[in-house]
This record gives sequence, structure tokens and C-alpha cells, in this order.
Amino acid sequence: MEEQGEDKAYRWEGDYEKTWEALKEDETGSLQASIEAEINKAKKRRLQQRQRNVRLGMMRHLYVVVDLSQAMCDQDLKPNRAVAVLKALEIFSEKFFDQNPISQLGFVSTCAKRAEVLSDMSGSLQKHIKVLQDLGQKIIKTNAKHCTGEPSLQNSLELCAKSLKHMPSHTSKEILIVMGSLTTCDPGSIHDTITQIAKQSIRCSVIGLSAEVHICKYLAKSTKGTFGIILDESHFADLLTDHVPPPAEISPESSLIKMGFPHHVSPHESGKISLCMSRNTFTVGGYFCPQCQAKYSELPVQCVICALTLVSAPHLARSYHHFFPLPMFKEQEVPVGSSTCYSCCKPITTATYVCEQCAISFCMDCNAFIHETLHSCPGCIISTNHVHTTTNGVV
Amino acid sequence: MANEEERQLLVVIFDVNPVWWGIKSLQGQAQITKCLDCLLVFVNSYLMLRHDNKLAIIASHSTKSVFLYPAQESSHSPDPSKASISDQAGGDCRYEHFAKVDDSVTDKFKELMRDGCEKNDIRRDSLIAGSMAIALCYIHRMQIESQGNTKLNARILVIKAADDAASQYMSFMNVIFAAQKERVVVDACILGQDSGLLQQACDMTSGMYLKVPHQDAFLQYLLTAFLTEAELRKESLVLAQSSRPREVDYRAACFCHRSLVDVGFVCSVCLSIFCQFSPICSTCETAFKPPVLASKSRKKRRALPANGT
Repeated sequence: MEEQGEDKAYRWEGDYEKTWEALKEDETGSLQASIEAEINKAKKRRLQQRQRNVRLGMMRHLYVVVDLSQAMCDQDLKPNRAVAVLKALEIFSEKFFDQNPISQLGFVSTCAKRAEVLSDMSGSLQKHIKVLQDLGQKIIKTNAKHCTGEPSLQNSLELCAKSLKHMPSHTSKEILIVMGSLTTCDPGSIHDTITQIAKQSIRCSVIGLSAEVHICKYLAKSTKGTFGIILDESHFADLLTDHVPPPAEISPESSLIKMGFPHHVSPHESGKISLCMSRNTFTVGGYFCPQCQAKYSELPVQCVICALTLVSAPHLARSYHHFFPLPMFKEQEVPVGSSTCYSCCKPITTATYVCEQCAISFCMDCNAFIHETLHSCPGCIISTNHVHTTTNGVV
Repeated sequence: MANEEERQLLVVIFDVNPVWWGIKSLQGQAQITKCLDCLLVFVNSYLMLRHDNKLAIIASHSTKSVFLYPAQESSHSPDPSKASISDQAGGDCRYEHFAKVDDSVTDKFKELMRDGCEKNDIRRDSLIAGSMAIALCYIHRMQIESQGNTKLNARILVIKAADDAASQYMSFMNVIFAAQKERVVVDACILGQDSGLLQQACDMTSGMYLKVPHQDAFLQYLLTAFLTEAELRKESLVLAQSSRPREVDYRAACFCHRSLVDVGFVCSVCLSIFCQFSPICSTCETAFKPPVLASKSRKKRRALPANGT
């Protein structure tokens, strides 16, 4: 259920909500169009809620705590909760690294009153996906035999906090807890842990799979995170996707981070063999750290020898669109006579969306595509008076 | 051979920058009409490979990007049903699909050249980021329409003449990332000077980048290199090798001097790059603490016990 305010009544105390009246059939009897309209409305609402002109935490260190306790053997998500959660987290990791290329992700699991690290904090997508897939396979094979006991919220929070304490202060530290159980078994007072975490300005969010637990809501509220309970699998994917864009920055620390931009040497250019630090084997060609000349096979990575963050310019450019979010297009009625979409030449039937800067109209699909994937209006790019407001820093 | 379940979609973006083509034809080095003929032969060969190959051609002018094929219904053209009847009644021996493509391209091209653009808007550099954005929207629409039946393999072939426009960097990078996400392969055929932006685009989407030395060989290059689809290129020794001939320089340029840096300082708020430490970021005006020199104090502490004992 959505988070309720303190002053709102419980749902059974309010009036009846006739939700069946929101769906309408079209002439063939199909509900598809009205379902799509609902989905689009929800998407639009989500996009509009994003604030503009707010400082964003670009470099993020996010720990995802996965509950692998007895409650996750429940089969209300197919095939069981644990496997469904791991699959959803794989998709989440891909989207996370797509939108935040210079951030790092780590996974922690909690079961049998303990917490342990599944996958260390790193920026390598393949490593995390492999760990998640192997764990998912193991759970399917053993039929969730080792998902036993109760989760421990305090142990997992302390484990993450201990690791996040060493992170530099200009990064945004976050913990995302996926909790399926209604209980937690803790060694000490969890309120002390929560105050300690809030003091370290770590942002905790909780996604619950069964019901609202007061301590989780209190944790999310004290650390300025979000709290949500899922309705079904697609709602779970939506709640996870809400954590993909960078959050508004709560800590005022900012600094100049020293970064290296290594040059790539291809195997054709030089046939010399050298040790690749990311794979621990000898390879030909790769990226050489400008400070210590250690070789790596892929970017972004943190040099293990001189601790310099190595990135390439497109990784930074991938985050630029967060600073200049494309404003929503105005929805208008289809003008008299047919009109075609500017970018895909499809005749527009439902509604046109007009960009306010260049006054060019698009169809609904192009509008969704432009805002979710492209992040630039084609009309604005083409019109000659459009000069981009950023200073271009790269060749 | 390609899977029976898959279809191909090729979107050709043809750069018709009037300044570049005008200069080249005055120098006698290149003619836009000849290039257009070569392009039509290439496109006909592509359509001949499989009956369900899909095609779109976009012309990229200084102020607009126009679909040369498929033809949009514009206010200039007469009633479309009458036009098609007269085409069929024309009765030349061309294959109907080729005739449709050729006629649509030549008619739209003539219209584009006739209308042109305002004198103030003519630019020396080519604005292909906008055309690529439109191409991606068209590919997205085609993917939605063919969903459920067959998988659509889409690629974009950019035929670029004039130089890069530096102001288009941000839009171009957004387009490249969108192409990467949609698994669209971007190929480039360069008639003029080398283009750093397209080199990055081809590298990031695993496409082919080719610079054509002189225009007479244009058709041959097109037919040899760009006719095969992206997945089959690794089967060919020649194409697999020439897919990545040169290394792309992904280094960044600092915001203060525009010089390429190996090690730079990045502002954590706005991600702007500087070559040396400065107390205030020039883009977002955040103040930074100067770096703490921790090593000197540690060395002093270590030296004292040694002297003392």
C-alpha cells in the first residue's frame, strides 16, 4: 500500500472506492487501452514528482540488503519470493549501472539471525549479476532449503554502516532493504543503530513484501528514505526502478575528486603482454592507469595500486542528462484533420504532445521514448536557434 | 543465414549540407546527384536481399530532417490514391518496390533542394544528431508495431559529408546512449573529414566506421562493407578486421583550457572536469576544501621516536 500520512484514516474507515469504474472497455470489449492509459498516467505522475534544481548525489554507494529468511519461501511471488526478488534485482542492477555509471553497488543477505556479504561493493555489473544468478540457481535446486530462520535488521544495518563509514564523504551513501518477513531478531537496541546511521547521513529505504512493519517505516523516515509495500511483481519492479535515478543530496559535502582518464591500447597496436589487474591474467592491450601504469580490462574501475578512480568521458556524459531533465510535453487534442508525428511519421490518433521550446508535436509512443530513453527533444536539436546551455568539456 | 524469425530495418541518414556539397562540386571532387544515384543502387540491393527487409531514408539539412522514404503525406502532394494509379499505369519495367523507393526519394529530394532554408540558417557543419534522434524514434515505432511476431534488427547508416558541430556534443551523446540501450548498430561512411563523434558512436554500438577516400569508389564501398547485417560481419575475415581499425580517444578535455587531460579533478556536484585544483567550481559555484596534506604530519611523527631513542 502507499505510505499513509499520520492524519489519514485507515482504508476501512474511508468511503468505498469504486475502482472498477476506472476501467472502460472499448468497442471490441478489450480493456487494453484503458490499462495503458492508467500505466501512462502513473508514469507521468512519477516523472512530474521529480524535483528540478535540486542537488543530486551523482556518485552513489548503494548496499542492497536481501532478506533470505523463512518468510521468503512463500510462493505468492512465482516461483518463490526469494527467486523473484533476485531476478528483479538483476534487472535493477543493469538499470542502476546504466543511469549511474560511476556508482558502486553491493549486496548483503540476512538469514538465521545473521548478515553476510553476498557481493562486495564494486562497479562491475557482471560480477554482481553472476553472484545473483548463482544464488538464484542454488535456491531453485535446493528448493530454498537454506532460507531458514529470521532476518536480523540490526546486524545487516551495522554490517553496511561499517563498510560505508570508509567511503569518502562526497559520495551519497544508501542502503536499500528488501524485507519479506514481519519479524526481526536483533542483538541489541535497534534505535541506537538507527540514530547512528542517521548521524552518518546514510539514506535507508525499505521495500516490504508482506505488510507494513512499524520499525521499517520509522527507519526510512529517520534517514529520509522511502518506504513501500508491493502489490504484485510489476509494482515491485516499479518500486525498485524508483531507486535508479540519483536521489536529492542530503549531505552538504562536496569536493573535487581526482580521476584518471586512461588511454586504451588495442591488441593490434602493441603485441606486448602485461598483467591485467581486474582479471589477474596476462592479456594483450587494455586501459593503463595514468598514475601507476597498472592495466585494467574495463572501465570504470578503482585502481587497486594507487586508488585512483579510472573512468572514460562517456561515463561522465551519461549522467549529464540528470542535470538538465527534459521538461514534460504539453498534452493537446488532435488538431482538425489528421496530423503526423514529427519523428516517426505515424498518423496521430489519440493525443499530441507538444514541446514548449520548439512547438513540435509528437505522438504518445515517441513522447514516452523521448522522456525515458532519449532525454533530448529531436525538434529542439534540429531547430537552429538551439544552443545547449552546458559547456562542452569533451572533444 | 539470418534467423527466419528476424527482420532487418536499415535507416540511412544522408547528409545534404549545401555548403559542403556546393564547395566540393565547384572543386569537381564530388557531386550530390551522383552520390544519390549510388545510394539508390545500394538501397535497391539491400531490398533485394530479402523480401521483408525494411528501409527508411532521412536527409539531414541545416534546419530540418526530412524523411525521403517512406514518403509522408504532405500538403503539396495530390490525392495519394490518384498518384499510385498513375504510377502503375506508367508501366515501366521496374520492380514496383524499387520504383516506389526511387520515385519517392527523387521527388522528396527535389522538393528539399527547392525549398532549402533561410540564408541566415545555413551552416558549414552537419547536424546529424537531430536526424539520428528521429531515426531512433522511427525504429522504436517499428519495433512496437512488429512486437510479438518477429524480432527486428535495426541499424543506422550515417553518410556524413561536412564536419562535426561542437555544439551538438550533449545531444549526440544522449542519442548514442539511447542507441546502445535499444541495441541499434550505428555504421558510418565518411565522405569528408574524420569525425570524432561518429567514431565514438560506432565504437560504442559495435558498428563499422569507414572513410571513403574518393567519391568514385563510393558505391563499391557501400556494397562491400555496409550491405551485410551486423551479426554476419564477424563471419567475414575482411569485415571483422576492419570493424575496429583505430583506437578511439575517450579522454576528456578540461573545462578551463579545453586541453586533453590524463588525470583530472571532477566536481562531485556537477561532474565538470578541471586539470588542476581550484577552490570554486566554475560551473556550479560550489566551494571546495583544499586537499589535506596528511603525509607530512605522519612523517614528522615517525621521525621523532627514531631521533629520541
